Amino acid sequence: MRVTDGMKYADVGRNLARIQTENAEASQQASTGQRLTKPSDDPIAAAELARLRASLSTAVNRRQVVQTAKSDADLAESTLSQVTELLGRARELAMQGSNDSLGPDDRTALSNEARSVRTQMLGLANARGAKGYLFSGSQTDTTAFDTNGVFQGDDVPQTVDIGGSSPTAVSASGAMAFTSAGGRDVFADLDTLATALANNDRAGTAASLDNLDANQKQITSERARVGLVSSKLETSDNVLEQLNLDLSKRQNGIGAADPFEAYSKMSSLSQSLERAVAVSRQVLDSTNYWRS
Amino acid sequence: MASLTQLLYTARDALSAQTYGVNVTGQNLANVNTPGYVRREAVLETRALGTQTTGSVVATGIRRVTDEFLERRQLDATGLNSAASEHDSRLQSLEALFNDSSGTGLGTSLDNLYNSFASLSANPSDTTVRQNVLSAADGFSQKVRDTGDTIAQSRADLLQDAQSTTDQINEQAQAIARLNTQIVAAEAQGGDAADLKDQRKQVLLGLASLVDVRAITSGSGIVVQAAGTTLVDGTEARKLSIDLGTDSKIRVFAAREGGTPTEVTKFLTGGKLAGIKDARDVDLFDTGKKLDEFVFDVATSINQQHQVGFGTDGVSGRNLFDVGTGSDVARVFKVSSDVAGNPAAIAASGSSATLPGGSDNAAALSKLSSAPVVFGNTRSAAQAYGDMVGDVAQRRSNTEKMMQQREAISAQLEAMNQSMSGVSLDEEFVNLTKFQRAYEASSKVLTTADQLLQELIQRV
Repeated sequence: MRVTDGMKYADVGRNLARIQTENAEASQQASTGQRLTKPSDDPIAAAELARLRASLSTAVNRRQVVQTAKSDADLAESTLSQVTELLGRARELAMQGSNDSLGPDDRTALSNEARSVRTQMLGLANARGAKGYLFSGSQTDTTAFDTNGVFQGDDVPQTVDIGGSSPTAVSASGAMAFTSAGGRDVFADLDTLATALANNDRAGTAASLDNLDANQKQITSERARVGLVSSKLETSDNVLEQLNLDLSKRQNGIGAADPFEAYSKMSSLSQSLERAVAVSRQVLDSTNYWRS
Repeated sequence: MASLTQLLYTARDALSAQTYGVNVTGQNLANVNTPGYVRREAVLETRALGTQTTGSVVATGIRRVTDEFLERRQLDATGLNSAASEHDSRLQSLEALFNDSSGTGLGTSLDNLYNSFASLSANPSDTTVRQNVLSAADGFSQKVRDTGDTIAQSRADLLQDAQSTTDQINEQAQAIARLNTQIVAAEAQGGDAADLKDQRKQVLLGLASLVDVRAITSGSGIVVQAAGTTLVDGTEARKLSIDLGTDSKIRVFAAREGGTPTEVTKFLTGGKLAGIKDARDVDLFDTGKKLDEFVFDVATSINQQHQVGFGTDGVSGRNLFDVGTGSDVARVFKVSSDVAGNPAAIAASGSSATLPGGSDNAAALSKLSSAPVVFGNTRSAAQAYGDMVGDVAQRRSNTEKMMQQREAISAQLEAMNQSMSGVSLDEEFVNLTKFQRAYEASSKVLTTADQLLQELIQRV
């Protein structure tokens, strides 16, 4: 084949340009740590990465949702546990009040304490969490119980999306814990106790004991349910954490450049660039023989 | 028997012929870097005068060393290469639109929207969380509009480029027709018109990078076919023109001066014009349509769910997004004026009785992120977005491969043409020496003949 000077120059130019392009690409990979410098480098991986990024962002968000819901569930559980203690105190008061040896004044004192227990319990039942009143159901802006102990909320559970196939109910139910919907009206029972004590009604006080036991059971059962919700959320949190890790790993597996490979590719390319420049110089110099 | 005078004439002819050779070599050396220059060879013949043997040489002219077949193939390859590289470079910006690696793209804004619904389900009565839903919706709609606008703007730019490319094609066609006229005239006067032919070859190559070109040599210059139709017929140039069809795609027409245009769109296969048309009317068109469909499906599913819920103000039946119809969805996409700026209007609750803490509708909205609601209810939004990213990436990857392939073919043909017609300095230096030595030898003959004649004259 007849080789002309134009061909030599064109060849040298093209080859140097090609090596420069590869070099630029390799150094971009090495410096960004990304294997794909643009989606078209690997369309299938690019689509996969877009989907992974969405899954990862969803998982990160759902973890936050789980943690918010869990903090409310934990708060509800510890509140209910305090309620149980208060009920225990009320039961002690009732036991004392049932004692034959007590006089009216003693019972009045006990009645006052029973009223204070009731007030404290009202405070607990109207506790606020991250999303509003913990025991009001969906009426999160309304106190769960008014000063008369009348329930103002509803029994609509709060549902959140924490991944999985269907939304999960996460809230504590004030209706089930404190009102007749769960068995007995706790505040009414406390009222009854306080009134019986105030009236020096020994039999009425003794009769309250059974009711208070029922109340105790009712609260404990709701507390157990909320505890279960909380532990379920804990599990979800762990699952999501693992999912996050797995997704990030997968994302790295597909999208990240191997740093050693990127570096060695870069250095071998810069060597071949040097060689190409040296060879090109010789090729172009060969035309000079005639001038001398 | 040859006389001494005859020898003088032979030497004179030889000197003139070798000078011509040096001259031609000089031209070649001068034009070693001239694009389109075809190397020349001096054509030397023995001079025939009657029946007598004179042994004299004459330079009858020059020969352009070229191969019409190779030249035609180079025109082809140039057209295809230029179409592919134009097509590829036009898809770069489209690809960048769907490159989410920085986490600021359309996909990310869509994730943010769905995530804001999930966060709302955890805390439905909080105004800040509601505000966050609104700004996520606004962020998504803005990204959608940006993407739609960029695609539309690219298509508008490409139309402009197609127009100016067509103008260039018409100018080049006229230039070729003019050169044809000059070449015919020069050859009629016995000239070789080599310079003009070189020029015409170069204009043809330029034309081939704009539109697919076939050149056929005919009596009066050459006939040039572009986009399957005759563009230059000898000394007459015709015109290409473009307009937009009802489907908003480019149509190409050809016409004689003052004649009725004929549509030649489907014959267009090469050159910048074809690359522009492919990028604009295939890839950008399809992707724009897909984006509209995607946005329509996503927004409609969200709207349907949002409508059945209640805002904290007790109102239901409101859309979250204003969705356009038909071909213009993305560019007019925005947060519905019913809810814009009004966090209370976000419908988190599924019933007016469960306000403000009801979260079932927020959870249902969030659940839509994994529901198959897009592309005929076959793909979830994130899957569909991944599909679109993959599709655009595949398109670019295809054009890139096509471009590399055609570039290689084009380079190969350029090399073959260069090999045939290019100037080699080595060769020309050899030729220069060859003619120089022959010139020296002939002048020696002249001196010898002169000495012989002098000797003869002294004897007389």
